[in-house]
Amino acid sequence: MEISIQNVSMTYPNGKQALQDLSLDLQSPSLVGLLGPNGAGKSTLMKLLVAALLPTAGAIRVDGQALPGAERQLKARLGYLPQDFGLFDELTVAQFLDYMAALKGLRDARDAIREAIGAVRLEAQAKTRIRTLSGGQRQRVGIAQALLGSPPFLILDEPTVGLDPEERIHFRNVFSRTAQERLVLLSTHIIEDVQSVCDRIVVLHRGTIRFAGTPEQLIRAAEGHVGVFWERDAVRAPGLHVTARVNTSQGIRCRAVADALPACARPEEPTLEDAYLYLISREAAQ
Amino acid sequence: MGKIFRYECRRLAGNRFFAGLLLVLLFYGWQVLSRVTLLGVAHTAPFSPWSFGDYLSRMLPLLWLGALFLLTFFTSAAERRRAVLTAATPVRPAAYGLARCCAALAATALLALAVLAAAAVFYGRTFGWYGWGTLLVPALVTLVPPLVFALGSGWLLGRLRPWLLLPWMLIPFLLRALPLPACLGLLNGSAFTDRPLALGTLDPAFSLPAGAVAVQCALLLLGAALLAIRPARRPGR
Amino acid sequence: MTVLRQFPLELRRLLLSRLTWLTMLLTVLSPLAGLAGFGPASAETMQSVYLANPAVAGGALGGALFGLLTVFELNRAGRSRTEALLDAAVSPLAMALVRLLALLAAAVLTLALTLAVWLPVSRQLIGAVFSAADCVLAYAIFFGLALPLGILAAAACFQFTRRADLSLVLFATFAGLSLTVWADDWQLCWLNPRVWALSDDFTNFRIFRSVAWMRLTWLAALAGVWAVSYLCIRRYGKGLAGSLARSVRRVYRPAVALVLLACAGTAYAAQPMVDDSNPDETVMAFYELPYAEDIVCTGRTAQVFPDTAAGTVSGRTTFRFENASGQARTAAFGINPGYTVSSVRANGADVPFSVGDYQEYNRALLEVTLPAAARVELEIEYGGFPRESRNTSTMQGSQEISDDYLWLANDALSPNLMNVLPGEDGYPTVMEITLPAAMTVIPFGTSEAEAVARHDDGTVTWRYEDNGTGGIVYAGDYVREDITTGGMTIQFYYGRKHQAVMEAAGAVEAVQAVVDYCTAHYGRLSFGGGSTLKLIQSRVFGGGYATDGASLLDEADFTAANLDDGTKDAAAGEVMIHELVHQWWGLGNMFDTEGAAGPWSAEGLTVYTTYRIVQELYGEAYAREHYVDQWQQAVDDYYLNFYVRNPEYLERLSADQQLAVTGSLTYVRQYCEMPLKILKAEQLVGGEAAMDQILNRLFNRELDPTYPYLTYQDFLDACGLTEEALELG
Repeated sequence: MEISIQNVSMTYPNGKQALQDLSLDLQSPSLVGLLGPNGAGKSTLMKLLVAALLPTAGAIRVDGQALPGAERQLKARLGYLPQDFGLFDELTVAQFLDYMAALKGLRDARDAIREAIGAVRLEAQAKTRIRTLSGGQRQRVGIAQALLGSPPFLILDEPTVGLDPEERIHFRNVFSRTAQERLVLLSTHIIEDVQSVCDRIVVLHRGTIRFAGTPEQLIRAAEGHVGVFWERDAVRAPGLHVTARVNTSQGIRCRAVADALPACARPEEPTLEDAYLYLISREAAQ
Repeated sequence: MGKIFRYECRRLAGNRFFAGLLLVLLFYGWQVLSRVTLLGVAHTAPFSPWSFGDYLSRMLPLLWLGALFLLTFFTSAAERRRAVLTAATPVRPAAYGLARCCAALAATALLALAVLAAAAVFYGRTFGWYGWGTLLVPALVTLVPPLVFALGSGWLLGRLRPWLLLPWMLIPFLLRALPLPACLGLLNGSAFTDRPLALGTLDPAFSLPAGAVAVQCALLLLGAALLAIRPARRPGR
Repeated sequence: MTVLRQFPLELRRLLLSRLTWLTMLLTVLSPLAGLAGFGPASAETMQSVYLANPAVAGGALGGALFGLLTVFELNRAGRSRTEALLDAAVSPLAMALVRLLALLAAAVLTLALTLAVWLPVSRQLIGAVFSAADCVLAYAIFFGLALPLGILAAAACFQFTRRADLSLVLFATFAGLSLTVWADDWQLCWLNPRVWALSDDFTNFRIFRSVAWMRLTWLAALAGVWAVSYLCIRRYGKGLAGSLARSVRRVYRPAVALVLLACAGTAYAAQPMVDDSNPDETVMAFYELPYAEDIVCTGRTAQVFPDTAAGTVSGRTTFRFENASGQARTAAFGINPGYTVSSVRANGADVPFSVGDYQEYNRALLEVTLPAAARVELEIEYGGFPRESRNTSTMQGSQEISDDYLWLANDALSPNLMNVLPGEDGYPTVMEITLPAAMTVIPFGTSEAEAVARHDDGTVTWRYEDNGTGGIVYAGDYVREDITTGGMTIQFYYGRKHQAVMEAAGAVEAVQAVVDYCTAHYGRLSFGGGSTLKLIQSRVFGGGYATDGASLLDEADFTAANLDDGTKDAAAGEVMIHELVHQWWGLGNMFDTEGAAGPWSAEGLTVYTTYRIVQELYGEAYAREHYVDQWQQAVDDYYLNFYVRNPEYLERLSADQQLAVTGSLTYVRQYCEMPLKILKAEQLVGGEAAMDQILNRLFNRELDPTYPYLTYQDFLDACGLTEEALELG
């Protein structure tokens, strides 16, 4: 599976420009983490990739075929979990998945449903009406419908929102396993999720790609720009962005990113979160 | 698509709204039958096609209302949130839409059947009359074209702007209050109350003026055509 | 406290919504529908056309619009998915009450705006007969009360179902029932009250009271239903039953709901406006009571005290009997079903009495056991709110009692003796009625009333003498004009407010024309006690009647609307013509009341003569269209009716259903079929002139004192025709 995004721009009818001249190539197997602050254009990009929107400029190709001509071929191999979605509350979990299986044209729907329900650990709720499910369970139903039929291309927008830590770890592993032979695009604000499973990261900011590479490359770019210091020693340094404040018995210890760390700061090994914040803070400063 | 059709039927008919609507229709229908239809229209029997047609034309606004409310199942805000999932599936929108339209038609037909059943029970209980075959034509002519048109026009309006369905629901109520030309007489019931008198014979056989038939055919065709229209997708949509 | 604190906030939020203002604007404009022809009032008085119809139609539309707004507003939180946020801040029960109060406040504001717009418009449209009090009351009761009803009904639907779609269907059906199949049931048409007429010249308190009763009944009912739905507001994640079980723990809540529902049920069942008269008007059981033997009534005296503020009547009637039987006797009296009898005393001692449950022709039966004494003076004290007949419940308003107008007829005036024969002098009656000084009392008949006492409270007692068991009296602010024509003086009484219209319409000339026509064609009237005839304008009545020495003129006979509309295809004064003609055909001993339900009655010749006069006054084409064609249509409709042609199906219906079908039998046969037969006779005897001569001979015939009535056979013989010859083909 190969997705090629070529010079794509997207301007909404109200004049808001969501994406500008964006180019990106995605190939399976891969688990791509899509990061970016709110309003960066992540959801727009995902909608373009599922052909829910048409770009105002540029082209998206799926295995060499341009959208929207290849829309059906794309959707036949797509599993999609949007950030905000609705379910048929009056149906049971199994019925809903059966409904979605019919829409996806799955042949062995029964096995696919059993597999998807197993993957999201909703066996006990299979015959429960969706109306009665908790928020986390509804999110799992959403993930189940995306996994239904083991599609080669998965787009997951904030999939772990509303899940408890145990479930988050479970689903991280599920996505990781899935990405061993497929292409998974994972949009999230939870850097931990990306750090532990993604082999590639794309950072969007203000409608353009600011970074595309491996997590290690992103971390390397932040080396020497992350430090810790006592708040009492702090001086106002331009471009210093405090990323954490920890109350200790000796005072407040701050962790910050900056192009040039203040003298009082002790350099630290950057994490992926530090690196991401450093990247975004630099972009914001520009 | 058969499975989708069955699920959509279940969604449309297996809820409190449908059950409530059914009860309301039966109650209102019985009131009309026992207070108005009982007297017969235009000197004809209460169970004549004319009186029966008058009953149906009085029930039509509620059926129209019910049919459009069924369509709101496909156009509501909640449905739009569901559509982000279904739109990402490879199903052809036309086929999916057809399955849903068929389900809406089936649910509307169920409502119409309930209205017909109420009349059948009324005629049987009150008069011991069971000649329902003679009522088939007025039932089909009176109900099918406007209800198909309601679904077709509602389907289109609902996809353009879901709120348009609400004023559209009032149309048949408005039509009943207005004096309409003979060709639109099936929409306000005057075709059943005025025409038998104009025919000049006692207990005339059921017939309709060519204009009214043409209007009903036009409604049927237009309704079917509107069901088939698919709004073009534009960038940014 | 939460409710009080939240209410101004919610009202402000509501008034910031454009939809609210759109609803209010459309509601304010909705009386236009009444001016466009939608409305229940069929009378042609100015206030019916320009006040009743706009107010009722506007109320119906406004009630529906506010119902829609209510569903929209109640669904707002669910639609925007802010329920959880709101519920966390304010209890859903309190919020429901706040929303209801805010919507009701918006309705009150809309009523005020509507009045501000329509008061001057109504004044302009109605002209000289405009009454500001009527206008305010009409908009408050016909229009304004529809809005809270719509709000309560829609809110209850939503709180029960929690679905906007189902609520709208339920509300539409509930409104639809009122507008269609319940439209003719004055108690059920909650949205569009059955107001058939508003008087221009006199007051309208009776119809306002009737509609207000209906509206308050529904207000209690829907408030009760809303209160039940309030208990069903979903809380704590529970369903309808669970929430209900939770909410009823505070006992006052279900208690309020039950009290409201009980009030509504009681108000519905015990409504004071109409009686329980037998809907089958061919049954006259009270007229078939056997006369008590060996006892006669030698006279009666009555004192009647109408309360013009409350619309009630109290009275005391004393009957004098001579009982030659030496035994106790039962005397039967007709009494208005709205009255209660507080005491019955014979020769100063209480005697047993009972008022029966059966009622017919707006009459209940009071039975009193008279003692065996040779002379009995029976004093009956009665009083109450007079009811109208339920068979004319769609035309309420005639029983108007105010300090501007009063009409008391027969049993509503005084108990009406039913089963005791008169003494040698008949039933000599002295009637005293005490009313505000501004009112003139006019007995409907040959009697003349005179003021005999003035009281410190501004009332005057009037007295008149009469002879009979019944009697009708009018009172009001009347003007009298005397017309001398046809060898008699016509005392023409009409409302002071109507003076300009009467003069502009040439009412006096119209009356003269009718009397001249009848005198020239049939001869002069002969009067027992003089040569005067009263012609009294009644409050809009929808018909009329006549008796010896008096005829009625309906207010709607001459209206400003008729005057203003020069192209109007309707003649003025037709009720007046009809009732004046009754002086020639139909009074005294002219027709035998034994066959009152048969086709031959006073109405046949009267309707025929009215047609002839209208033909002369307004032309052949008009008379044919409005008389002959309509008789023919009514007769055709009757004989073509499915049930008349197929009586076997009629038998399958319930008694009530059968009555609904056959109710018009007597009317059609007397008022339509017989005039057509007389018209056919006219053609067979050689035309109008020949028929006039025949009728002249019949009017001036020698009377057989043993049976003075004019029979159908007399008519046929005078025409030289047989019954078969006049059968309509």
